[in-house]
Amino acid sequence: MSSKTVESRSWFEQLLQHEAPVTNEPAVVDEERLAARAAVQELPLPGRRQELWRYSSVSEIFEQSFEPATEDLDVELMAESGDWLLPDTQAYRLLFVNGRFAPALSNVQELPEGVRLGSLRTALHADAQSLAIWFGQAAKHDTHIFTALNTALMHDGLFIHLAAETKLDRPIEVMHLNLAPEKPLLIQPRNLVVLERGAQAELTERYRSSGDSHYFHNGVSEIVLEEGAELEHYRLQMESNKAYHLHQGFLAQGANSRYRNTTLALGGKWSRYDLQVRFKAEGADCETNGLYLVGEHQLTDQHLDVLHDTPHNSGRHNYKGIAYSSGKAVFDGRILVAKDAQKTDAHLSNKNLLLSRRAEVDTKPQLEIYADDVQCSHGTTVGQLDPQQRFYLQSRGLDADTARKMLCIGFASEVLESIKREAIRDYTLSRMQGALDNVIEKLNEQ
Amino acid sequence: MLSIKNLTASVDDKPILNGLDLEVKPGEVHAIMGPNGSGKSTLAHILSGREGYEVTGGEVKYDGEDLLELPIEERAHKGVFLAMQYPVELPGVNNMNFLREALNAKRRAGGEDDMDAVTFMKLIREKAKLVQMDEKFLKRSVNVGFSGGEKKRNEILQMAILEPRLAILDETDSGLDIDALRIVSEGVNALRSADRAIILVTHYQRLLDYIEPDHVHVLAKGRIVRSGDKSLARELEERGYGWLEEDAA
Ligand SMILES: Nc1ncnc2c1ncn2[C@@H]1O[C@H](COP(=O)(O)OP(=O)(O)OP(=O)(O)O)[C@@H](O)[C@H]1O
Ligand SMILES: [Mg+2]
Repeated sequence: MSSKTVESRSWFEQLLQHEAPVTNEPAVVDEERLAARAAVQELPLPGRRQELWRYSSVSEIFEQSFEPATEDLDVELMAESGDWLLPDTQAYRLLFVNGRFAPALSNVQELPEGVRLGSLRTALHADAQSLAIWFGQAAKHDTHIFTALNTALMHDGLFIHLAAETKLDRPIEVMHLNLAPEKPLLIQPRNLVVLERGAQAELTERYRSSGDSHYFHNGVSEIVLEEGAELEHYRLQMESNKAYHLHQGFLAQGANSRYRNTTLALGGKWSRYDLQVRFKAEGADCETNGLYLVGEHQLTDQHLDVLHDTPHNSGRHNYKGIAYSSGKAVFDGRILVAKDAQKTDAHLSNKNLLLSRRAEVDTKPQLEIYADDVQCSHGTTVGQLDPQQRFYLQSRGLDADTARKMLCIGFASEVLESIKREAIRDYTLSRMQGALDNVIEKLNEQ
Repeated sequence: MLSIKNLTASVDDKPILNGLDLEVKPGEVHAIMGPNGSGKSTLAHILSGREGYEVTGGEVKYDGEDLLELPIEERAHKGVFLAMQYPVELPGVNNMNFLREALNAKRRAGGEDDMDAVTFMKLIREKAKLVQMDEKFLKRSVNVGFSGGEKKRNEILQMAILEPRLAILDETDSGLDIDALRIVSEGVNALRSADRAIILVTHYQRLLDYIEPDHVHVLAKGRIVRSGDKSLARELEERGYGWLEEDAA
């Protein structure tokens, strides 16, 4: 064992020391925590030699020390001082600060019958036994060390539960706000979203931070869609230039369920979203769209891992990225179609735009097919802005910067248009435009 | 208005324009004809500022100003417009937004405020009608999936909205069906006025039946080898270019 691996192991162990092994949670939770604790000490350490970590180095994270976020900060008061309003006032609103539910700034009153919305911690305390069939099932603590770490030190996170045939009349909007104004924090939301048979919901999650908060976000989301359930899910991540953000999503889809997702990654020093998709039965449909923008001293990484091991499921996955300055973008998408997964329909596309020579894109779309009666495709491109297109716009009177910006938005539009709710689409577009203004400014400085 | 004197230009050290002279006055319509590869599009591109051409000599004055010194967009603000032989597709760029941005960029450059949304909608509807373009094309990405003729109409729509002082139409008639040719011609004729000028690059007499030129020039091997009135176009239709190219050699 090299000294480096010893160091990263002790990085994990130090974090575990911040808390007692058992914390008086419901038995189900304490058992999970204990098992996860053991896993943290045994699971392989992430490093460049592992395929999963080849392009996004974690060594930078291990060189820093983080303390688990506690409830010491008066988070609600701090959150109140910022402008964190969500775009749609019609929505059920939930605010989480450093992974903990902030009820005072949330609006989850008058919930319809069959709907539970709020804190996972509260839900587990109220009814751990019945949640045990979902909690920790999609996200196994014994596979990834970061999932294990999240489980070992978990406190709270988003909880959504819709009983069978419940169709939510209003969208859900969740703000995950990370605040670390003083010391570097470890922030670990643990989210659980369960839509039982035939339930329907729309969920927007925003990950934001204040100022130049310095932290490592190690989040886990479990999303369970039972038979015929439908979830429209938007994930917008935009954090401080000192934020390290790792989030693992685990999606389990039942028969004829439908999942549609748009993910937007606009910032943070280092951000990575891993989505794992598993089909439990036939007839399910999964659509994911992603857009990332990455610049000076930033890294963004999208990992997608889809396993078709049952027949008659379909997936469309469309990711687009723009990299500029010394920004580095990684896309790693893997679709595996097992031998018995006949009639699978799976398509994966990743397109990238490099705006400067120093920018870097590593893209690795993989399609492994072991069944013979399937419809699958994958493709990837890395290109630059077309000078002919820029000329065309300029010849119509647009200046070079506006022309570039228009072309970038044009490039991204396919993903932006996958956002069906207008308020969210407009919000996303304006964030994207704001980010591009900075990009163009930086390009001109070069 | 436009004065080109002894213009020479090359691409990758290959000379393409070899001493070209052209004088265009306000109110005039000039037709430029000439064999394939003679340099017509090159001239049009150099006037609108496209990169990739090296001007090796001569001068181009537009309203007394050195046109070649101006950035691309400033030429547009000052009223130069090129309807391209091969209009570029802009995936994801909404046609309506594009037109609005272009118009407002020009207005801002002229010290005007942006046009308000209602007035703009009225304007665009009126102009779309003029070129008989279905409004559904306004909602699509610029030129993406447009047929050849639809792209050309879209160029004329842009021209109608931007109201240039010097419009250069590079083979806008190519690929148009008979009805479209008439519609496009009407669009161009609607723009004709005493203070505007039009340069039509074309291979066909047919267009000139609709838009009557004041002058017709033949461009061969990078130079104007013959100028005349509209009867020259008819003569070319009958005799081809062979007799002129010998002169040019
Ligand atoms: N970017 C370029 N690289 C190399 N050669 C070029 C380039 N642009 C133009 N040329 C050459 O310059 C010559 C003139 O081209 P141009 O497009 O101006 O001709 P044209 O008169 O418009 O022809 P057509 O009637 O076919 O449209 C041609 O021989 C062409 O191949
Ligand atoms: Mg040409």
